[in-house]
Amino acid sequence: MSHLLDRLNFLEPKAVETFADGHGQVTRESRDWEDTYRNRWRHDKIVRSTHGVNCTGSCSWKIYVKSGIVTWETQQTDYPRTRPDLPNHEPRGCARGASYSWYLYSANRVKHPLVRGRLMKTWRRLRETKSPIEAWTAIQEDPLLRADYVKARGKGGFVRASWDEATEIVAAANAYTVRRYGPDRIFGFSPIPAMSMISYAAGSRYLSLLGGVCMSFYDWYCDLPPSSPMTWGEQTDVPESADWYNAGYLILWGSNVPQTRTPDAHFYTEARYRGAKSAVICPDYSEAAKFGDVWLNVKQGTDAALGMAFGHVILREFHLDRQAEYFEEYCRRFTDMPMLVRLDRRDGRLTPGRFLRAADIDGALGQTNNPEWKTLVWDRLSGGLAAPNGSIGFRWGEKGAWNLEEQADGKPIEPVMSFILDEDRDDVAGVDFPYFGGAATEFFATGDKRPDVLTRNVPVKRVRLADGEEALVATVFDLLCANYGLDRGLGGEWVAASYDEDVPGTPAWAEKITGVPADKIIHVAREFASNAEKTRGKSMVIIGAAMNHWYHMDMNYRAVINMLAMCGCVGQSGGGWAHYVGQEKLRPQTGWLPVAFALDWGRPPRQMNSTSAFYAHTDQWRYETVRADELLSPTAPEGDWNASLIDFNIRAERMGWLPSAPQLRTNPLEVGRAAREAGKTAAEYVAEKLSSGELEMSCEDPDAPENWPRNLFVWRSNLLGSSGKGHEYFLRHLLGADHSVLGAETANRPVEARWREKAPEGKLDLLVCIDFRMSTTAVYADIVLPTASWYEKNDLNTSDMHPFIHPLQAAVDPAYESRSDWEIFKSIARKFQQVAPEILGKETDVVAVPLLHDTPAELAQDEVRDWKKGECPLIPGKTAPNFVAVERDYGAVYDRFVALGPLLDKLGNGGKGIGWKTEEEVEALRALNGEWETGPAAGRPRIETDIDACEAVLMLAPETNGHVAVKAWAALSENTGRDHTHLARPKEEEKIRFRDIAAQPRKIISSPTWSGLESEHVCYNAGYTNVHELIPWRTLTGRQQLYQDHLWMRAFGEGFVSYRPPVDLKTVTDAVREAGDALVLNFITPHQKWGIHSTYSDNLLMLTLNRGGPVIWISETDARKAGIADNDWVELYNANGALTARAVVSQRIREGTTFMYHAQEKIVNTPGSQRTGRRGGIHNSVTRAVPKPTHMIGGYAQQSWGFNYYGTVGANRDEFVVVRRMDKVDWLDRPIGSKEAAQ
Amino acid sequence: MDRTLKALSLALSYPTPELQRAMPEIAAALAADSRLTAAARRALRPLMQALAQEDIYALQETYVALFDRTRTLSLNLFEHVHGESRARGGAMVSLLETYRAGGFEPVTAELPDHLPVLLEFLSLRPAAEAREILADAAHILKALQTRLERRESPWAAAFAALVELSGARVAPDALAELLEQPETDPDDLKALDAVWEEAEVRFGPDPNAGCPASREMLARMATDPAAPEKPRALGAAR
Repeated sequence: MSHLLDRLNFLEPKAVETFADGHGQVTRESRDWEDTYRNRWRHDKIVRSTHGVNCTGSCSWKIYVKSGIVTWETQQTDYPRTRPDLPNHEPRGCARGASYSWYLYSANRVKHPLVRGRLMKTWRRLRETKSPIEAWTAIQEDPLLRADYVKARGKGGFVRASWDEATEIVAAANAYTVRRYGPDRIFGFSPIPAMSMISYAAGSRYLSLLGGVCMSFYDWYCDLPPSSPMTWGEQTDVPESADWYNAGYLILWGSNVPQTRTPDAHFYTEARYRGAKSAVICPDYSEAAKFGDVWLNVKQGTDAALGMAFGHVILREFHLDRQAEYFEEYCRRFTDMPMLVRLDRRDGRLTPGRFLRAADIDGALGQTNNPEWKTLVWDRLSGGLAAPNGSIGFRWGEKGAWNLEEQADGKPIEPVMSFILDEDRDDVAGVDFPYFGGAATEFFATGDKRPDVLTRNVPVKRVRLADGEEALVATVFDLLCANYGLDRGLGGEWVAASYDEDVPGTPAWAEKITGVPADKIIHVAREFASNAEKTRGKSMVIIGAAMNHWYHMDMNYRAVINMLAMCGCVGQSGGGWAHYVGQEKLRPQTGWLPVAFALDWGRPPRQMNSTSAFYAHTDQWRYETVRADELLSPTAPEGDWNASLIDFNIRAERMGWLPSAPQLRTNPLEVGRAAREAGKTAAEYVAEKLSSGELEMSCEDPDAPENWPRNLFVWRSNLLGSSGKGHEYFLRHLLGADHSVLGAETANRPVEARWREKAPEGKLDLLVCIDFRMSTTAVYADIVLPTASWYEKNDLNTSDMHPFIHPLQAAVDPAYESRSDWEIFKSIARKFQQVAPEILGKETDVVAVPLLHDTPAELAQDEVRDWKKGECPLIPGKTAPNFVAVERDYGAVYDRFVALGPLLDKLGNGGKGIGWKTEEEVEALRALNGEWETGPAAGRPRIETDIDACEAVLMLAPETNGHVAVKAWAALSENTGRDHTHLARPKEEEKIRFRDIAAQPRKIISSPTWSGLESEHVCYNAGYTNVHELIPWRTLTGRQQLYQDHLWMRAFGEGFVSYRPPVDLKTVTDAVREAGDALVLNFITPHQKWGIHSTYSDNLLMLTLNRGGPVIWISETDARKAGIADNDWVELYNANGALTARAVVSQRIREGTTFMYHAQEKIVNTPGSQRTGRRGGIHNSVTRAVPKPTHMIGGYAQQSWGFNYYGTVGANRDEFVVVRRMDKVDWLDRPIGSKEAAQ
Repeated sequence: MDRTLKALSLALSYPTPELQRAMPEIAAALAADSRLTAAARRALRPLMQALAQEDIYALQETYVALFDRTRTLSLNLFEHVHGESRARGGAMVSLLETYRAGGFEPVTAELPDHLPVLLEFLSLRPAAEAREILADAAHILKALQTRLERRESPWAAAFAALVELSGARVAPDALAELLEQPETDPDDLKALDAVWEEAEVRFGPDPNAGCPASREMLARMATDPAAPEKPRALGAAR
């Protein structure tokens, strides 16, 4: 063998020698590269936290910390296991969350307390000689000094301040406002408590101790589906995402699961592996669309028509031609379908009226308690009327019969669902139903020439009333079938025997409106129902904001809910209504409420529905384009319907339906003093003075300076950059900043609201924004306080998507000078306590309380009567808001803030209509957290740190304290007469502490606060305890209510579901539109992939993955029409304002539509608009809130107000905009004052 | 202590009345340092004057708008090196360890990469080491100088002085890369649009070739001096 052949000339072997039988080798190469990996994973500690933006994810993350600096995060994978045959929750997390840690040290971080320079300069000058209160008074009472900084909002000019100085200004402003105008002129807006509940509670606790106003978010975001409280008496309750896996048929309707529910999407995938079928319904080819076995590309805004057609098929095939046994039984027991409705006769025509009630019948069927609130059925067993258990009349004033047993008066009954059989009916009558399909605007019109009233035949019974009159009654089921246009062999018009007939309700009719082929509609409806029949309800609809953000959202949603009710899906594992928008599920709610609203020190708190408040205070009502007569039903009962939308809101406030803020034109502290001096209770005094006109409600004159909100705190929120519908009106009227409102004020003058010729601009004295990033809101604030981010504070986080309670933890101290929200409000409270005694001491505050849901006041008004019109006397808490005196101690605000007050011991705790004693838990907290030894809170348990506050919540809540859960179920058992405590007994000794969830996310304990169970046997699903424990829904009938009989519901044509085309907002007018601008598109704002939920849209990493700034999406066809190429700069405008963005031209989008993803910041990459000459706005620059009268209803069972629970909502999808290419892109990079003002 | 570096650290800190009172001393220290050219010392005078004499609120507003609010002028050096990237946390950790190894513990709310913090540290280190570290950052300092000059801000001179003290010759490539981040010049946009323009996607015949659009875009980014557009902050527009 040649030596040369064996020797290597050009190469050298890597391995020097081998060992371990050749499995290991020694090499020469440098191993320095390995250090990269060693260092990569080198850290001092790992801390569990999550992202509390507004995400339903509540995903567990490991935060890696080295030398006190957060270096990165990765997904945690230690969720408690699920049971066999159910996939685990992992992996959870998404790209947005994974990019979060870099926010901590981002250049956009707010590092120091910032104060507008002009304000600071004046303040310091005045403070040299004056006290804080005197200094703030001097600024407010000098119009020039005030205007100096108010007019500078949004124009930069911040200087740093010390915490001491910044909190002193805030405290002085608050104290001055309390004294000068009243505590109800101090507003606070913070959304989504569930995402970081202690941070929320910090601000709301401070405000509540002052008597300030906490503003709602869920309704304002339009994420609240009012159809849910209407149908179920429940804010929103939904299945956890794991329950998707149990479904056999899944419809994704306007919900883009893979894009916006990323961590949960795997359950959708797994369900399909398991064999579930899925239909996806959305107008665009969304990320979800490709997962459907079938994709129905419905024209946006017409979903109700599609839902009606589905319902038509289901009723025809499963209820009429054949009665599916399961459906029949379910509907009879769990829906209002067998309930009797009176048919009202006017001018010889019949319309569905009120539910027949016990009080209508002679002797009230023996019901002495609340007979006017007990609805009736026809009982087959007794052959007569019966008042079945469970209607809301049984809920209050008596115990034991508020349940869903098929009983009346202790005897079994069998309610009749339909009078269709000859032997059951007395007659067949033509009943009028409103039809709105012919009133569509150009974009939605189908050439429909049908009349606006359709008369259909319905089988009826005659009933003798107490007054001797004879009334016609029909079952809800029979009316519903008529409403869906089903021919039942009764003859008459507007009903169809075949799906091919173009009659309102049929698939053929829906095809014309929605663009979805009739055969696909029939196919999906049939499969959905047939799966539900075979699986006893395991058909589910996952539904998103897309459908709820329309003005007539209730029609969209009720069409879906009706389908689910018809198929017995609600309350069944793997079935039901899965609305995932807005992250409403604060699981330990009843433990949190006392901490959050200081119910331990004073009750009731001041809470306000934001939509009505912002509508009034940003003067959007002055620009109203929608008249009530455009909304009214042609079948409306007689009444005073000729009024503006704000007038309806004012009436609602007056009658106690909706809350008010501010409440009275007079300072409530003055009212409290005057009542005391007059020797009267607050309620007596205010009733007398309101009746005589000596006191006035603020809502009647929103532009009067005494009625302006004066101080506004915005924390955990980007009100101006994200959720503020009517952005430009906020800027103009509330802030007094530069704005781009293009439209004119309305010519229709309201009848109840006082019209002032000149609308005020700059109502707020002080806007405080608490954030960790310089958001659009911060840019407009007077004071910006730097707060801790998700990895810098201790807090709690829960979600509706999974049943775990999860912590946020301080992996590191807050960066720069930032502090946690809890510490920030503590320091403001401390400062307030120091500066306020100069003008405030112990005071009596008079708080107006509306007629609240889940309290006896929900039975206040079975008829609509307005005291102001002399239709009834003013009785607080009955025909008007209640007025309650609350004692404030302004010199002890801080001491009270950090201590758990005595009212929990005295009054107990509770929620949703049940209460329990809680001394033991208070005692346990005293032992755990320690108590104050001296001061105004001596002897009270401490809640000094954020962890103390977490412990208080966890201790008091049934979801995290098994003992409380048992007490809560026991309290409910008394009402229902059925024992429910078995649901919590196995977990009675379980008490979840903050350190427990820091170690591992913990499953909550089942509680009556919610309608689902969390157990070893079922996944959490809404309505489960209603169906399986026979607990009534908290509605008038106690059942899922498909018919709404309130006068206003009937007047506005929404007694039953129907298709209502989007409303005409008239914002693209000739006056606004510039010549040559031809392209007008429907403006839709879905949730995006690169921001929202777990991070904000100014995150550079995410921006880099898209186009680096605001974009809108349009179809290729529309782009061609307006000469727009992909990535061109475009501007969108209408009467409300203008925005600028780049265009994404895509086949995904339907012609006639433009998408702009929600909440893209105007602080990033936004040039000036040519139309307005000012910087382009945000997506809400082209929107305006338009409230709906039916959402104002109150004092009426499930249609009673609750905070974040019911009320007017901020819809924005009916909007149209002009879209045009910008030929000149101007960044407005000039100092203010040079030619054009930047901004 | 290197009083010049310390003086520049102060001149780049948030202006306070205390700083205003100390300005004569600070100005004198800078005027006396012969390491700086006469031109550099002359250039510093307007800044010294402004810091000493201008209305404190006007100074503070300007400072916040420039250095706290404008991403491209951030005094956190790693903002310009690592941006929002994952490497930033690690880089800060090693800088912190450098301070500790040098015998100092930071006691400020500012992050370790805040320029005044670094300058104070360097003022306590041997001159050669200080120069070397400054030289490492010279391209950033130069970029900040250029951006501030465009805004006609007197603070530009402080950066010019630092570049001089570093003795570094700034590599034009590195500087160009930083300066390409658009600031105030809307004319750049056409170039940027060109970078972002996507080619039509055609699949096949080679299924493994990947997406041609992204391939081309990456190629153009690599060669085109116009880097992909970085989002701008509102502050930058003032």
